[in-house]
Amino acid sequence: MHELAIVSGIVDAVTERSGGDRIVRVVVEVGRLTAVLPDALRFCFEVVAQGTAAEGASLDILETDGDTLRVREMEVA
Amino acid sequence: MCAVCGCSDDHHHHDHDHPHDHPPQDHGPHGHPHPAAGRARSIVAVEQDILAKNDRLAAGNRRRLLERQVFAVNFVSSPGAGKTTLLERTIRDLGGRLAIAVIEGDQATDRDARRIRAAGARAVQINTGAGCHLDAAMVARAIGDIDPARGSLLAIENVGNLVCPALFDLGERLKVVVASVTEGDDKPIKYPAMFRASDVAVLNKVDLLPHVDFDVAAFIDRVREVNDGARVFVLSATRGDGLGDFYSWLSAQVAAEATRTLAGKVAGAGLA
Repeated sequence: MHELAIVSGIVDAVTERSGGDRIVRVVVEVGRLTAVLPDALRFCFEVVAQGTAAEGASLDILETDGDTLRVREMEVA
Repeated sequence: MCAVCGCSDDHHHHDHDHPHDHPPQDHGPHGHPHPAAGRARSIVAVEQDILAKNDRLAAGNRRRLLERQVFAVNFVSSPGAGKTTLLERTIRDLGGRLAIAVIEGDQATDRDARRIRAAGARAVQINTGAGCHLDAAMVARAIGDIDPARGSLLAIENVGNLVCPALFDLGERLKVVVASVTEGDDKPIKYPAMFRASDVAVLNKVDLLPHVDFDVAAFIDRVREVNDGARVFVLSATRGDGLGDFYSWLSAQVAAEATRTLAGKVAGAGLA
């Protein structure tokens, strides 16, 4: 369930910076120690992104060691 | 309608609908063609912590509590470890000497808040509904409602869950994880994120040790394995074993909080 709160954080972070451009790809870093499930993130992302500039964007998840949860970059079109 | 995302735009391309791995740090050219490569696209660096919003609100809570010199503890555990019972007992035993207020987090009902009030402390109940953890925004509202007294103890009882609450800073000074002997003595290594995030581990229900297969020394070793700086208290909130040490520690923390000041401010100056 906490994946939903995390995905809201991702969608907020990218839509605030997209300046109205359509977001086609988002790259996030997820530390293995955070107990955040990549599959659950992808599922939630699709739902939360609907109706925003990130609708339909792909979510690339870089799994790293440690406890980082960070949006690295996005691709806009 | 687009068959991939369900949107009404027929003209855009989904160029990542095939699985491929991106090795960490590799943002160079991929070894396959992108169908929309001719389109103007740009990469924008974001570099933002995903929980930044929660962390900002938590920092606000922390500042507010510091202004009032309120010692705030975030109690976390799996359901049924005895957080509420420990708080009830603490209120009954220390309530005469210490001002205590409690923020109760549960998915539903105000049963715990009523138990806390019956024990003699003020309490506000947060119901998270489908949510599995408290977040800093919920706690900000609850602090406003409960209005903790200067120099008091504010106990925040999180939703019973050993996973999600580890990620969400509420603005507390310390996190205390409560485990009990009716759970496995391997909990610390099975849920390392929570035990690593906590400053203190309490092992509760030791009155039941004759009836269960639980190795206290192994439990403590496993706490140390994931978090060698954690302080451990072994106690029974119902029978009273070990509570003296816990109370001494708690009282000392509340007293220490009263000596903290905001940087550059004189203690007590200009505060509500």
